[in-house]
Amino acid sequence: MATVVIMPRQGQSVESCIITEWKKKVGDKINVGDVLFSYETDKSAFDEAATVEGTLLKVFAEEGDDVPCLEAVCIIGAEGEDVSAFVPKKDEGSTATAETTKEEKKEEAPAVAEAVATGTANVGGRLKISPRARNLVAKTDADVSKAVPTGPDGRIIERDIQKVLDAGLTVSAETAEKLLRGEKVVFAETKAEEFHVPAAAPEAKTGYTDEKMSQIRKVISKSMHTSLTELAQLTLTTSFDASALVALRASLKAGGEAMGVGNITYNDMILFAVAKTLATGKYKALNANLIGGDTMRYFEGVHLGIAVDTERGLMVPTVFDAQRLTLSELAKQAKTLAVDCQSGKANPDVLRGASFTISNIGPTGIESFTPVINPPQTAILGVCSLTKRVKEKDGAPVFYPCIPLSLTIDHRAVDGAPAAKFLSELVRNLENFNLLLTI
Amino acid sequence: MPKSQYVDPNRAFDSGFIKFHDIPVCQYSLTIEDEKKIYSKQDLINIYRDMAIIREFETMLNEIKTKSVYNGVEYNNPGPAHLSLGQEASAVGQAYCLDNSDFTFGSHRSHGEIIAKGLSSIKKLDNTELYDIMKTFLDGSILSVVEGREEIKGDVKDLAIDFLLYGALAEIFARRTGFNRGLGGSMHAFFIPFGIFPNNAIVGGSAAIAMGAALYKRSNHKKGIVIANSGDGALGRGPVLEALNMSSMDQIRQLWGEGGGLPILFNVFNNFYGMGGQTKGETMAWGQAARVGAGVNPDQMHAETVNGYDPLAVIDATTRQKDLLLRGEGPAMLEVITYRTTGHSPSDSSTYRTQEEIEAWKNADPIKAYRTKLILGGVATEAELDAIHDTIVRRMTKICRLAVDETLSPRMDLDKEPEAISSIMLSNKKVPSMDPTREAEVLIPKEENPRLKSLKVKSRWAFDADGKALPKMKIYGLRDGLFEPILDKFYEDPTLIAYGEDNRDWGGAFAVYRGLTEAIPYHRFFNAPISESAIVGSAVGYAMAGGRAIVELMYADFIGCAGDEIFNQLSKWQSMSAGILKMPVILRVSVGNKYGAQHSQDWTALCAHIPGLKVVFPATPYDAKGLMTEALNGTDPVIFFESQRIYDIGEQFHKGGVPETPYEIRIGDPDIKREGKDVTILSIGATLYRAMDAAKILHDKYGVEAEVIDARSIVPFDYEKVLESVKKTGRIIITGDACDRNSVMRDMASNIAELAFDYLDAPPTVVGSRNWITPSKELDPWFFPQADTIVDAVNDRLLPLPGHVSTHNFTDIERLNRLKNGI
Repeated sequence: MATVVIMPRQGQSVESCIITEWKKKVGDKINVGDVLFSYETDKSAFDEAATVEGTLLKVFAEEGDDVPCLEAVCIIGAEGEDVSAFVPKKDEGSTATAETTKEEKKEEAPAVAEAVATGTANVGGRLKISPRARNLVAKTDADVSKAVPTGPDGRIIERDIQKVLDAGLTVSAETAEKLLRGEKVVFAETKAEEFHVPAAAPEAKTGYTDEKMSQIRKVISKSMHTSLTELAQLTLTTSFDASALVALRASLKAGGEAMGVGNITYNDMILFAVAKTLATGKYKALNANLIGGDTMRYFEGVHLGIAVDTERGLMVPTVFDAQRLTLSELAKQAKTLAVDCQSGKANPDVLRGASFTISNIGPTGIESFTPVINPPQTAILGVCSLTKRVKEKDGAPVFYPCIPLSLTIDHRAVDGAPAAKFLSELVRNLENFNLLLTI
Repeated sequence: MPKSQYVDPNRAFDSGFIKFHDIPVCQYSLTIEDEKKIYSKQDLINIYRDMAIIREFETMLNEIKTKSVYNGVEYNNPGPAHLSLGQEASAVGQAYCLDNSDFTFGSHRSHGEIIAKGLSSIKKLDNTELYDIMKTFLDGSILSVVEGREEIKGDVKDLAIDFLLYGALAEIFARRTGFNRGLGGSMHAFFIPFGIFPNNAIVGGSAAIAMGAALYKRSNHKKGIVIANSGDGALGRGPVLEALNMSSMDQIRQLWGEGGGLPILFNVFNNFYGMGGQTKGETMAWGQAARVGAGVNPDQMHAETVNGYDPLAVIDATTRQKDLLLRGEGPAMLEVITYRTTGHSPSDSSTYRTQEEIEAWKNADPIKAYRTKLILGGVATEAELDAIHDTIVRRMTKICRLAVDETLSPRMDLDKEPEAISSIMLSNKKVPSMDPTREAEVLIPKEENPRLKSLKVKSRWAFDADGKALPKMKIYGLRDGLFEPILDKFYEDPTLIAYGEDNRDWGGAFAVYRGLTEAIPYHRFFNAPISESAIVGSAVGYAMAGGRAIVELMYADFIGCAGDEIFNQLSKWQSMSAGILKMPVILRVSVGNKYGAQHSQDWTALCAHIPGLKVVFPATPYDAKGLMTEALNGTDPVIFFESQRIYDIGEQFHKGGVPETPYEIRIGDPDIKREGKDVTILSIGATLYRAMDAAKILHDKYGVEAEVIDARSIVPFDYEKVLESVKKTGRIIITGDACDRNSVMRDMASNIAELAFDYLDAPPTVVGSRNWITPSKELDPWFFPQADTIVDAVNDRLLPLPGHVSTHNFTDIERLNRLKNGI
């Protein structure tokens, strides 16, 4: 019998995905494991591999189409099989994919019809699932992201979870719980309609090229605009004497290789210092989210968002509970996340949930900038390039390595004075980094 | 329509005149010299004393209400006080004639009547009996407050007066030591052991209830008379007019055999105002209230008008009326002219009458006039009467002080006993016979009952040995399931009476009572006039007096005609009496179909909404018999819903059919009629059969197994089985024939959603009738829930059924639109 391949749901905040490339075309033979198509979510890219073998009978979406999660993408089945029963109603009579529907001999409708998908279960980041189905997930750790809702109005009901379980699709208890958690605040939320691509082809022009923004670029665009228009942002700048960091880095380079700590960067050290400084609990308004303009959500742990520049655009993976990690553990995690982001394989679940973000502009010579807050967070620390500066020591000018810092705060959530105190304690900690390591 | 009475067309058009005789108006003319020959000196002085006690009691309340202090006792009383200042002579005159076995029922303005009747009973009861009543009433809790504080130590009568005044005042002040634990209050105070039956805050509410108490005396051969006291304003109320007629109906004297007419006196205290509306000259047409009685029956109800400002004139008239009633010539009516000199309530500034008028009536004060008469007639001296007055003021100050004392007279403590009121909302007693000392009066031995004999040959199971449905005529139907326990109870409980419209020869409009006419004498089973208020109201009074009644309203739609009697009277008196009164009344109502908008409504929700009623709706012969048996053995009011769709339906569920022997089904216990694992359908009433059809479709076409639960009862309702089922299936449809909005179904859905939330795979879904009028029979499928409506609801709201196409619109948008438009 024919199998409908649906657009998987990657992470709870994802409503739709864009098909970036078809690897197979209608009529191709498909083996289990063959990549059918590639697609990207708000933040990551994925390949969809076939789980059944057969022939690609019909596709419902073209490259560049934005497909709601859990909607049918294509059908794999026996050659010549009647797939009309599986065609989504809205596509009936559509000519877009008519190439696949040749004159096919009619077959008897299946005696016991399968329950069909009734819509999408994720609405505005909130999972539409019955209490009974939810409890079944909690009990069995079924992978709710694989559930196809067949309840009224796209609600996931008990039988949908049962089907996931029958297929043996379970996840860790922690992930199951995360998948179930209805998120009221979802950063970088998008709705497919808002990015609808007009059907008409762009008119030919000269002297420039029009290029559709990638999904990720659109998300960044929207998020940045929202941030700057809705928040009350204020940036404070300072700098610190990085001598301690430079010394430590030198000794790590010299002898750390053998101990596996040779790759620890200045940025890792700053992450570490920020985590420890926020973990004192003295600056809880900075390690927080401002929800809906009237509720502060203070976090117990320090969840550091790390801005990573990638080919697709800016991505911000999160190191959860950074305050618990040693410098070397923190460095490793930051590295892994950055690599995942750059290769487009980051799990969407780590691309959210940060309580504080650090953006390191790196060796670009920039001495000061205004980082833009990633709402609903209340602050972001910008780390500028290492430079040489002069200061007076014992009546004589001396050079010292300096790193400027730019802290942007949401003035709605926190005032300038506590932000300044945080910066000054951070500077002290960075300048006495060896002492910090002993904590 | 008894066949014994021939309606002769040759006589129906005979010419002639209807003749009225003169109605006496204030004809009493005896002088003090005449009266001294009739009454002892002590009697005459006691009449003065009793009037003065009432005057002081009401004065005290007026002071408390308007100044928050009486003789130095400070108190703020937020409750009502409808005072009868000025009306003392009419109350005392009436009570003078009454014995303890005579009952009085009153209105919202009845403090004076309570005190007068109480003082009369105290005088007439012997001391041992009197002390025994006080000692045992509410475990002596009222007596313990006043005992030892009496002025004349060891004098039981003196103690009893303290007891009476304290019990009434504590009740008015909502104290736990009041006659009804403070749950009745000023407008509902009463004390059954002295024959003081409930007063009533609904104007005219007592008329039908008192008539029911008179019916109890008449049908059970009890001594004494019943007085229904009301004001003149009550004569504007339909239920009062219904009661006047029903109490006078011809059959009582013509068809009921020995015993004569009902021993009831409708006593109208005409104080000229129904609240602020002036009856004579403004809101009424009768000029003199006694005229109303003249139109009721050929006896003109023996109506007359008497001077209520002269206690001896009232005694004279009431005595004559009482004698008539005891001779079986009732009912009777008396108009007692009186006047209240204070407002309707203390907040009434009397804008509808002049100060001049009030002053004139104050000058005519009945107590002052009577006092002058006693002194001039040489019966008592100024000093004697002053001494009486001083004693009264001392007593009243003492009583008032006791009643406001938070320690001696506490209110109910709902912190300590949060369920104290819950515990008296229903009595939940099992009393198979309300009077086991007597034999029931019947016409034939039970075994000879013709219907019982015909039932012997009918099948008590709906199917033959091969499982094929038997013809309707060969099976024991639901109506037989009702008949059997009722017949049994007529032979077991001598107090049981049954009445309603077309009950006797017709056998009830739906033939439930066929076979009773031959077996039960008229005074226990009769046709009532088309007077729903009087039918239900009288059943309330019948139960208050100690009997058990089944009354029938034919169509459930007629509940509206008896609204006050069901919602304010039947439902409330057990709890307003703090559990002292029991209310073993079954009210049968039948839900129609095919008969359009005013004869096809399931109004279970109206009854279920009112605290104090039990509500059942059986749908099978087995359940009908079991629930009727349980209801008949109980002491609570039960609204017994039946459906005209299924009177002839046979038993299809209870294996072995309907047992011949009696059995009870606990009210509140739903029944699983079909087991299933995928979806629960909870049905109310006759919808059960459509739910079963839906279950069959779900099984046959979609492989979905529905569990069908028949609610059977509505109040109380034990959710245990339903929740268990929902925990299993995760989904529930609640269906019934009532209009969806604010229905019992909606209430159940809300409870289930709260109690089984974590188990639900979909929201509980209601499939009721549309919020329309009931259209014609041909349009039934668009209005009442059908099997396919239920299947559509399962598909659209609970569990999409692959391949199913719904024809009903269960979408949210449609729902929101209907709600928005009020349909």
